Amino acid sequence: MIEFKNVTKVYTTGTEAVHDASFSIDKGEFAFLVGSSGSGKSTLIKLILKEEEANSGNIIINGKDITYLKPKRVPYLRRSMGVVFQDFRLLPDKTVYENVAFAMYIVKSTPKHIRRQVPYVLSQVGLSEKSKMYPNELSGGEQQRVALARALVNNPSMIIADEPTGNLDPDTAWDIMNLLDEINRRGTTVVMATHAKDIVNTMKKRVIQINKGIIVRDDKKGGYSSEV
Amino acid sequence: MIKKVGIAVRYNGFTYLISEGFSNVFKNKKGTMISLITMICAMFMFGAAFAIGQNVNYVMEQVQASQGIEVFILNEATDEQTNTLESEIKKIDGVSTVTYKSKEQALESAKESFKEYPDAIAGYTEEYIFPASFIVMLTDLSKAEGVESTIATLENVKNIRSSNDTMNTLFKISNGIRIAIIVVFAGLLVIAMTIISNTIKLTVHARRKEISIMKYVGATNSFIRGPFLVEGIIIGFVAACITIALITIAYDYVVTGIESSDILQTMNITLLHYSEILRMVSVVYVVLGVGIGMFGSAFSMKKYLEV
Ligand SMILES: Nc1ncnc2c1ncn2[C@@H]1O[C@H](COP(=O)(O)OP(=O)(O)OP(=O)(O)O)[C@@H](O)[C@H]1O
Ligand SMILES: [Mg+2]
Repeated sequence: MIEFKNVTKVYTTGTEAVHDASFSIDKGEFAFLVGSSGSGKSTLIKLILKEEEANSGNIIINGKDITYLKPKRVPYLRRSMGVVFQDFRLLPDKTVYENVAFAMYIVKSTPKHIRRQVPYVLSQVGLSEKSKMYPNELSGGEQQRVALARALVNNPSMIIADEPTGNLDPDTAWDIMNLLDEINRRGTTVVMATHAKDIVNTMKKRVIQINKGIIVRDDKKGGYSSEV
Repeated sequence: MIKKVGIAVRYNGFTYLISEGFSNVFKNKKGTMISLITMICAMFMFGAAFAIGQNVNYVMEQVQASQGIEVFILNEATDEQTNTLESEIKKIDGVSTVTYKSKEQALESAKESFKEYPDAIAGYTEEYIFPASFIVMLTDLSKAEGVESTIATLENVKNIRSSNDTMNTLFKISNGIRIAIIVVFAGLLVIAMTIISNTIKLTVHARRKEISIMKYVGATNSFIRGPFLVEGIIIGFVAACITIALITIAYDYVVTGIESSDILQTMNITLLHYSEILRMVSVVYVVLGVGIGMFGSAFSMKKYLEV
């Protein structure tokens, strides 16, 4: 599903954010990316999204080597994954419904399909009642649920999340984690970068730890750090 | 906050493009105004230069047509030879009338032209040094060259005078204007394109967050570019329409003023009707406006599509 083979990423500034990283995440897995600030978690995610180019090594997504993917094909790669960020990234002048429908519109879904699918995913994330509201009228947790609905609406094979609970209080964070867990149970691969120790420790999922760009640990059912 | 409820429900390609394009136009009011004004100024100046050029050409044709060609006859030609020459000229394709001007008449008109300086021609009175001539009027100015060259081959023709100083001057002016139009046109094209491109850059910049979100969701570049192209097209089209209206009003006003002046009245010269100028210029305007808008916005997008 996602495979890194000896991937190294050096930014133009000279910072080596990822050094010789190799790992593989299978279909249906739930994997946490952990590590201290600046260790290279977001860079790994950007490499998966093809937002950044690797300097060496190979990245294989869904059986396809994307290392030399043409820029023109990148949008189609991204359609196979749903992305969620710490800062929600919703379109401010579109309603909850429109924000989710927009993702379907972009992939040229039929209006009929959109009308059926959007209410369905909004009910999955528990936002059916708020579909006509604008992002600035919602709480952080609700905004993140909209982002999650948008990520899910095109039935991607994987969800890529970069600190999705970073801006949320613990209770709201758990709401999002429960949703992600449920999505994962239905077969969607989830990759999530996080700093949230208690979440990682409680969920008992696979943990990939990165330190200064180097993958230092990969536990099948790990905690946030090996010392815990 | 303005609420647009239900737009997503009716999403389809065309309504999306148009509604987003218009919303860009109105969101960036200041930029839109600046672009509109620059484009209108640019196109107006181009229109003015074009109208002047066309009218100079038009006036030239009228002057040329009223002047005709003067064919001087050899002094030693007999009356019979002169008559033969006249009938031969009349046979040439493109000739409408041929009028004989005797030596006496030529002298009279010379005296008329030099009446301020009678000394200049005082001695020539008896010598008939002014040759007799035919004034040849043409049916069609485009045949002037052919007629002239045919006449030149005829016997007893001393020489031909087809263009005078006025003609030459007008010719130079019209050439100058033609070059000026091209220069003005190229300059304005660049300016208008730069301005509109900057305007759209502002919209794009203001919406860079939305653009990056669209890219994360998997939108293609052409999809993202669409509304901005529409924005450019709308601005260009509106500018073209306003300019057409302005130039119509201004042209009518100026031409009415010039045509009622004494010189043109006595010379019996008219200027082009505004509808003729518009017919030529309005298609150019619309194509130009829309084209500038489109290319301007395409250039401005480049940087922001690399996410
Ligand atoms: N666009 C960039 N250009 C240059 N250097 C960058 C860029 N993005 C990240 N870096 C550097 O690469 C290193 C890894 O950054 P990255 O964002 O991947 O860390 P992170 O693990 O996500 O950190 P955090 O937990 O704070 O989000 C850091 O040293 C950072 O300064
Ligand atoms: Mg990060």
